[in-house]
Amino acid sequence: MISILTAVQILLFPGLSFILSYTLYAEWLSRKTVARLQNRVGPLHTGWQGVLQPLADFIKLLVKEDITPAAAEKIVFNVVPVFIFAIPLAATFLIPIQSITNLWGYEPVAGFEGDLIMVLFLMSITVLAVFLAGWSSGNIFGAVGATRVAFMMLAYEIPLSLVAISPAIMAKSLSIINIVNWQVSSVQSFIANPTLPGFLLGIVLLIGFAIYTICLLAELEMRPFDMSEAETEIVHGWQVEYSGVKLGLLRSGHHVKMVLAAGLLTSIYLGGPAGPVLPPVIWFILKTSFCIIILSNLSALFARFRIDQMVSGAWKYLVPLAVLQVMATIALSGVI
Amino acid sequence: MSDRQFVIPIGPQHPALKEPESFYFTVDGETVIDVEPRIGYNHRGIEKAMEVRNYIQNLYITERVCGICSNAHQTAYTGSVEEAAGIEIPERAKYIRVFVQELERLHSHLLWLGVAAHEIGFDTLFYYVWRDREIVMDLLEEISGNRVNYAMPTIGGVRRDLKKDNFPRWRKLVDKIIERTEYYIKVASTEQTILDRAVGVGYLGKSDMIKLSGAGPNARCSGVPSDIRKLNPYLVYDELDFEHIVVDNGDVLGQVLVRALETLESCKILKQVMDKIPEGEIRTKFGPLNRVPEGEAAYLVEAQRGELIHYTISDGKNMPFRHKIRAPTMANLPSLVERLKGGYIADIPIVLAGIDPCFSCTDRMVFYDEGKDKKWTWTDADLRKYRKEWFEE
Repeated sequence: MISILTAVQILLFPGLSFILSYTLYAEWLSRKTVARLQNRVGPLHTGWQGVLQPLADFIKLLVKEDITPAAAEKIVFNVVPVFIFAIPLAATFLIPIQSITNLWGYEPVAGFEGDLIMVLFLMSITVLAVFLAGWSSGNIFGAVGATRVAFMMLAYEIPLSLVAISPAIMAKSLSIINIVNWQVSSVQSFIANPTLPGFLLGIVLLIGFAIYTICLLAELEMRPFDMSEAETEIVHGWQVEYSGVKLGLLRSGHHVKMVLAAGLLTSIYLGGPAGPVLPPVIWFILKTSFCIIILSNLSALFARFRIDQMVSGAWKYLVPLAVLQVMATIALSGVI
Repeated sequence: MSDRQFVIPIGPQHPALKEPESFYFTVDGETVIDVEPRIGYNHRGIEKAMEVRNYIQNLYITERVCGICSNAHQTAYTGSVEEAAGIEIPERAKYIRVFVQELERLHSHLLWLGVAAHEIGFDTLFYYVWRDREIVMDLLEEISGNRVNYAMPTIGGVRRDLKKDNFPRWRKLVDKIIERTEYYIKVASTEQTILDRAVGVGYLGKSDMIKLSGAGPNARCSGVPSDIRKLNPYLVYDELDFEHIVVDNGDVLGQVLVRALETLESCKILKQVMDKIPEGEIRTKFGPLNRVPEGEAAYLVEAQRGELIHYTISDGKNMPFRHKIRAPTMANLPSLVERLKGGYIADIPIVLAGIDPCFSCTDRMVFYDEGKDKKWTWTDADLRKYRKEWFEE
């Protein structure tokens, strides 16, 4: 009995099927948001308001010719897209979405104490996979894109981890579900009994949310941090030699990563799937959609930075701000 | 070349280049050390083709030298032929030519602004600018029936008239363009991510620019006055009131400012043309069989990208003996190379796009033996010999 439930959890809901269809929705939402901001209509014809367009694009890429360049490191080049697709997908299992036995409960498919570290680790691993993808393609633009990916990682990885840890410090746990539970209980107690430290903590966490969003933009290689695939400079950088199925996997992997990022942002800063009246999965969809809209909105607002500007900006502003944010959190955790 | 340096080929096919042209960049890490441009991927033999067609047929060839400055090429061509033939065109035709030319400048500068935004990864601005450019395109379509090759000037005048009833509506459209352009100037000079990518990028000072004799907005952004409309007025530009836009930024921001401010000046000219345009004929007759007396003439036009020269030699027939075109990008290439040196790889697209290159206008051909490092050109007799051999084979 338990094994059937586990199988349903992993394969159907809230596991693979749900995440993959949600990924397609997230891609559509992101494209539509950016399009509306840029005074375009975006996808329109496939399904209602073009909602099936991401699926159609994916299927189209599956039937396209799949080329492996002669200069590429064949094994690495062919294996890496699978990793880029599978690793973020595996990490989404650690995000609490919905319990399938209890309509009002939520739990991750596979959670354990310390899964926050695991998610951060898996996200960093995808960056390494991206580096390998560019490096193994045997193309000079691929190599430049790959080195840029590695450079960017130096810049955003530290503030990203720092601000991800600060809610964990408050919740005194490295498990995502405990962080969610702490947020729910502390918000409830703050509403019942508003205090100044609680208010200050809210502001500090808001700063953390902002830093985390910026770092996620870089992690997701979205504008203004898309220099690793800058089309006009290095012709899509590390992706340049990929085509067909592998390109489809890369694109889907990118959007799974976007869902993972939005889920993580929701879980550690926006109270996860918890919320009044509606079941957790609805709240999860609402909150992650909000995060995706924020990410897409930011990516439509700016011009692309240069790699040196991005790295120095991250070290000049983001890292000190993240350190301050963590220190403020520690100080406030003593008071509360 | 040390170990740290390697060569990145950009082009002939590259997303940053809208036309086939090749550049070899020697880079050290992310810094550009040296640039070697190679032109000649799009040579179409236009000047030769013009020698075997009559003057009216050549109108349609000159228009197709370039997709963006089609009207500028036609204006220069008709101007040079009229000068050689001694034809005086009606005053109204001059005003109409100016009107279409300024509309074309508007659409080209707005197009450039969008492309520049795209090159620095600011696609939102790109879409906004190109949306507003549609106003100009629709206006051009309304006047000439075409969006790209307007076919307005003809030898002896222009082919279509402007209707006076439309002027009030057009004035409103021009006001709309002015409003939008002022907004874009504000965005470009205050938005931090744009400034980060534009200030000090691809800098070239005034003295270097004079040495490398650039043309058009590329020279004017480095503080060199080069506007042919002011320096050597043609058509009716001396009767119109507009500023000679020169800024001394010298960088990409300067390029943006020059073009944006010129857009405003063009709007000013459009309004004045609508005020001042006299009534009368729009063309004097010049047919395909009309001959141009022996002689030669050169005509200078300020195209959107700079000084455009058409030089025609007639031997008394109804087709030119020789017609020579020098497009502005040719003059801008040396300064482009200088602008690129010492910059970052990431800045290559925006600096390249900065001069608003049009390589298909520019292409020249020389023979080059790489082994012997020897260069030569073919004379007319060589070409004839080659043709004879080629067809006999």
